[in-house]
Amino acid sequence: MIGRKGFLGAIALASAVLLAGCSSKNNTDTKVLADTSKQVFAAIRARRQNKGPQPVVQVTAEQLANTKVAALQVNPEQRGGSDFLRRVTQRNDDQFGTVSVWRASDGALLHIRGGVLVGSRGIGTDIISSDATPTIRAISGARSGQGERRYFISNGDYTDTELVLSCDIDNLGREDTQIVNLKFSTTHLRETCVGGANNKVRITNDYWVQPGNGLVRRSRQWTGPLSGYFELVLLKS
Amino acid sequence: MQQTIVQKSIRGFAILATFGFAVPALAQDAGPDAVFNIPDRPTLNFYGVTGLIDMPSAEALPDGQFTVGVSNFGGITRSTVTFQASPRLAFSFRYTGIQDLNLAGFETFRDRSFDVRFLLNKERRYLPAVSVGLQDFAGTGIYAGEYIVATKTFQEVGPLPGTFKVSAGLGWGRLGSAGSIGNPFGGTRPEFEQGSSGGEPSFDQWFRGPAAPFAGVEWVINDKFGLKAEYSSDAYTQEVDTSGIFTRRSRFNFGAEYQVSDRVRLGAYYLYGSELGFNAQIQLNPKTPPTPIRTAPAGPVAQRPSRASQPQAWSTDWVVNENAPVILRDVMAPRLESSGLRFEALQVTADSAELRMQNLRYNATSVAIGRAARVMAEVLPPSVETFRIVTVENGLAQSAVTIRRSDLEALEYDAEAAGALLAVTGIGEAAPRLENAIENEEYYPDFAWSLGPYITPSYFDPDEPVRADAGLRFSSEYRPAPGWEIAGSVNLRLTGNVGDSVRVSNSVLPPVRSNAVLYSRGSDVVLNDLYVSRQWKPGNDTYARVTGGYLERMFGGVSGEVLWKPVSSRLALGVEANYAVQRNFSGLGFQDYSVATGHASAYYEFGKGYLGQLDVGRYLAGDFGATFTLSREFRNGWKVGGFFTLTDVSSEDFGEGSFDKGINLTIPVSWFLGSPNKRVVSTTIRPIQRDGGARLNVPGRLYEQVRSGHRNALEQNWSGVWE
Repeated sequence: MIGRKGFLGAIALASAVLLAGCSSKNNTDTKVLADTSKQVFAAIRARRQNKGPQPVVQVTAEQLANTKVAALQVNPEQRGGSDFLRRVTQRNDDQFGTVSVWRASDGALLHIRGGVLVGSRGIGTDIISSDATPTIRAISGARSGQGERRYFISNGDYTDTELVLSCDIDNLGREDTQIVNLKFSTTHLRETCVGGANNKVRITNDYWVQPGNGLVRRSRQWTGPLSGYFELVLLKS
Repeated sequence: MQQTIVQKSIRGFAILATFGFAVPALAQDAGPDAVFNIPDRPTLNFYGVTGLIDMPSAEALPDGQFTVGVSNFGGITRSTVTFQASPRLAFSFRYTGIQDLNLAGFETFRDRSFDVRFLLNKERRYLPAVSVGLQDFAGTGIYAGEYIVATKTFQEVGPLPGTFKVSAGLGWGRLGSAGSIGNPFGGTRPEFEQGSSGGEPSFDQWFRGPAAPFAGVEWVINDKFGLKAEYSSDAYTQEVDTSGIFTRRSRFNFGAEYQVSDRVRLGAYYLYGSELGFNAQIQLNPKTPPTPIRTAPAGPVAQRPSRASQPQAWSTDWVVNENAPVILRDVMAPRLESSGLRFEALQVTADSAELRMQNLRYNATSVAIGRAARVMAEVLPPSVETFRIVTVENGLAQSAVTIRRSDLEALEYDAEAAGALLAVTGIGEAAPRLENAIENEEYYPDFAWSLGPYITPSYFDPDEPVRADAGLRFSSEYRPAPGWEIAGSVNLRLTGNVGDSVRVSNSVLPPVRSNAVLYSRGSDVVLNDLYVSRQWKPGNDTYARVTGGYLERMFGGVSGEVLWKPVSSRLALGVEANYAVQRNFSGLGFQDYSVATGHASAYYEFGKGYLGQLDVGRYLAGDFGATFTLSREFRNGWKVGGFFTLTDVSSEDFGEGSFDKGINLTIPVSWFLGSPNKRVVSTTIRPIQRDGGARLNVPGRLYEQVRSGHRNALEQNWSGVWE
């Protein structure tokens, strides 16, 4: 099919494609081509050397003792591994519960209101915002409850989808939490939510809450369609 | 002459990458918890529409779904693209090659056809889905046929797992050629007429002549495997009786299908008692990006100190400092730059500020607005309460978005953060220039260049359905001042066979587009375009452009355009006037042909992403008429449209196809790249490019430049403000 110029031309073109262009600025057609091919190759590489999920990092007593600032260990279940988040800010607004914003090592942010994950940024298909007031109220008193949970979830293309779930928060009784060498007296609350199109979305979140102050020491929470469940361990509040 | 040169060549290449390579590589990004990705993909038949094997079913694809089907049996290859344009309406475009048909002088007969189908009834508990379809309703008619079909789904019949889909229908035309039960709507149907120019809807034939029943069942065993069996009502008269390309021994067809990945399904079949066949089906949905965009997060919105505890921080004394605007600019500009924005101008008073900036990175302008607002909250003194953010696109101020700083601070973690902020945000008109503003003095003059590969494909030559030229392209642009641009690009062809085509123009009109082959033969080094353009806003709602030079590969000249598009208006009106001279096949010279061409245009946003455009005026060949375009634009920037042009050129003079028509496709690069990017790839495919109804390709038309910052676009992606 390749005509006149034939073989040599094809080689020259192939090298041009491999070079995938260069330019004085980003955002040109050739840059796009370069990025696309880079991404395709990276994906192929990643697939070849897929080693399975990384193990969860075990914090030592010494490391915990040396932690002087608020720290949150996050163990993404699907992706594996662990990250340690720093608290960037705390805010009170006109909704129930204080918001803590935690920053991951890659810059991603988690918005946690009264121990409940209500938003994320930079993870992919992020939770733009959500209303979890009934859950947050139940947790603050370490008791059961029920109510509606509403999410606005990014579709990953600067559009969002609303997801409405109806949730029951059950008190599964006292279950102490061991964090490294520290033991906390906690109550296990389980939140079961059903909703979405044809009630096909089912989410189960678990919280281990200190009864006195309503502090969530450990939890397993749904973080969105792409990232699945995260285990959150409050190393230092 | 069956030639369509698709300009903007490199874009075709990128589109190829989307469908071809990116698909399997992306699967790993969709986790098992993908609650929104419940697969919903009815399978396709040999015509690339939802169906059994050779017969259609009544199922509709999910709204917006895009499918590509390639099937082969008995020397017949059909490649079909189908788009579910609305929940009930689907369109298909098909390219067919039939080996050894020996029709119309071609050993291998190649033809293009369009289908349309409509879902009359969605499947309910007792009622089946019912669809009506027109197959090949405007081509040369070899596949012309109509059908009405019903499909009912049964779950887990007896001990058998999976789903059974039972379909039965009645076909006319080709689909009524075997086992006719009569002529329900009367009328006669002319024989397929070889060599006719085709292209016009054959209203008088639809549902006329004999009708025949067809039926079949699909057993979807599980997510991976499926079996199909059908009773066909197609006699293949032309293929079997006239040309003898295969032997038809039976009316029963059987097949097995396997879902290879989320987007790819393959099938093998035994057809008409004699032939083996295969079918490859690819499905994707513009609403589901293969790679979700991961936007580097901005930090939380900076909060001002409390006025009660730190009143001195709220003082407005800073206003008297003459250097304040300069200092603010110098602090803001690099922060904006690192967020993919470019500072253009800033005007500050004690309690309000207007920032003008360019969005260099995000395909949703709302993201740029959100980022700019954060930078303003970080940098501006606490007394500044009102933020006015104006996005500027090539010197054109699109709109002014007014946000109260207190709202920005208060709503970031609100349960409905995006909706609540939108409710208190003003989206209004932007003045052409910002008076008494401090400007970016470093940006102009600006020079940029790029060097990269290009491919110019050419489709549907009957001797070689896909041809292409490829090589290196050097482009550069120089912006001496806001709104001014001097730009050009040169192609160096290294290989290709577009010029090998022997099908040179046979047009009775001035050959304004049909000489593509001669242009390709012209020379290996080609100046694509080289022009000066200036665009500006004569008023708050009006936009203007003047462009002159080598405007495109085939024409040079001057072009002027004025557009009226209020920020919140669904309607826009524009006028464009051009004087164009046809360029030589090689070099910088011109031919004798010149023409005054131009259009009055109306653009309308119907809502839900449907866009209409009407252009009335004079075309390149001097013909008068109008172009009708209807597009569906998804919120993420995917756009699929169809257009046709009717002019005072008769269908005989127009030649094959009878009138100009085609499909436009635009895909945002970020959709498959997974990182923010403003660029889009777009392409226009025509079944045939003739000389009637041809428009000049002027670079930088105004409507698309302006619209991305207007109310509709901002509201559609408003959640991006917080991303």
